[in-house]
Amino acid sequence: MSSEGIFIRFEGATYRPNAGESVLDCLLRHGVALESHCRSGVCQSCKLRAREPSRKDVPARAQSGLRESERRGGALLACVCFPTASLELERTESAPRYTTRVVSVEQVGRAVLRVELERPEGFEYQAGQFIQLERLDEPVMRPYSLASLPSDPTLVLHVAVLPNGRMSGWLAGAAGRSLAFRGPLGECCYVEGEPERPLLLAGTGTGLAPLLGVARAAERAGHRGPVALFHGARDPSGLYGVDELAALRRRMPNLRAACVVLEGPPSAGDEPRGIGERCELWVGALDRILFSEYSKLDDYRLFFCGSPELVALLKKRAYLAGASLSRIHSDPFLPPVTKDA
Amino acid sequence: MSQSLYERLGGEAAVDAAVDLFYRKVLSDSRISHFFDSIDMDRQRAKQKAFLTYAFGGPNNYTARDMRSAHASMKLDDSHFDAVIENLGSTLRELNVAEPLIAEVLGVANSVRTEVLNR
Repeated sequence: MSSEGIFIRFEGATYRPNAGESVLDCLLRHGVALESHCRSGVCQSCKLRAREPSRKDVPARAQSGLRESERRGGALLACVCFPTASLELERTESAPRYTTRVVSVEQVGRAVLRVELERPEGFEYQAGQFIQLERLDEPVMRPYSLASLPSDPTLVLHVAVLPNGRMSGWLAGAAGRSLAFRGPLGECCYVEGEPERPLLLAGTGTGLAPLLGVARAAERAGHRGPVALFHGARDPSGLYGVDELAALRRRMPNLRAACVVLEGPPSAGDEPRGIGERCELWVGALDRILFSEYSKLDDYRLFFCGSPELVALLKKRAYLAGASLSRIHSDPFLPPVTKDA
Repeated sequence: MSQSLYERLGGEAAVDAAVDLFYRKVLSDSRISHFFDSIDMDRQRAKQKAFLTYAFGGPNNYTARDMRSAHASMKLDDSHFDAVIENLGSTLRELNVAEPLIAEVLGVANSVRTEVLNR
């Protein structure tokens, strides 16, 4: 195929690939710094993303081996991408920046805030993705998952309040204030077009936020397969959102919602009270309970969010229990790399 | 003209059939599983696929230098390499690959022993 009239736009510059030249080779030839290793569409180190409206023009070969959610988001492997039309590309870690305003802040758990943001004009996302919040008065950036649905009027975050947290502490008193964010990021998203597939969602702490987003997206899509959501915490005081889970459970007969605490059981006086009356409650290690309840996962799509160690463990155990890696979506909540919590 | 090893095994489809079986065996093998504890599983699966493609005699861009640098800091010895070879053999047996073909694959895999063990 002739490469006449085919261009690659990347980081503000335009490049013209030679006939039969991959996107990777074209960009490298022009001195663009890009990571690459196997050069044969295997290692995924040269992954880039096509912007709209050129996503439809990404050749199928360039998306082979990627997850459905990544493909839909325009991801491609530059080393095996031989363009047949012009493409506008960006690095996968880059995302547009928006400014917004905090609508409301509500304490929903012992150390969890529900923060509602205005949805900026033009911001599109999928339930379960995350954004990088930026304070305007100080150089502080933190990632938070979206618990809201794209059809909701506002953006909803669940924010774990950390001691001396430079973002979470500020957010506590930020109702009405302005801030910025970049996004959407991540691929922990509900996948349309497979309404019968069993789904298993598990997370710790505010890992509940993206899981609620995914479960609500499944509800909205009329998902018919079983959906199980496990919300874990160290002890009962770390649980929150139980009423929201119970309400979702009432609306979704195919949903199983369970709370799991490592230490317990909740005694009189513990908050929140009466969890066991509103929601299934287990005491023990989340991975042990999850994989004793679900031991054969070949057909499942799985979502794991929260503590990085636990997410890694759940992912490994799910894979060993037969799950396909391409159907395991995970979002490890990494601690800030700076020392300022 | 005779078919290549890769063609006789069934090409990319054979690699796809083997990769999860093989990677699960490796992850479950207590002799070597700890090497994979802190590694991104999606990328590691892709690397396992590249390794199998290589061992199956398929198209690949892996060089001796890659093999050396990738394994240099891991303090590997023959017992670790043998464990991988063993898992590869049992994967192929599970897929009902004929023994002479298995021997060929293990021969190719064994040929990178000196590079992987940095000798």
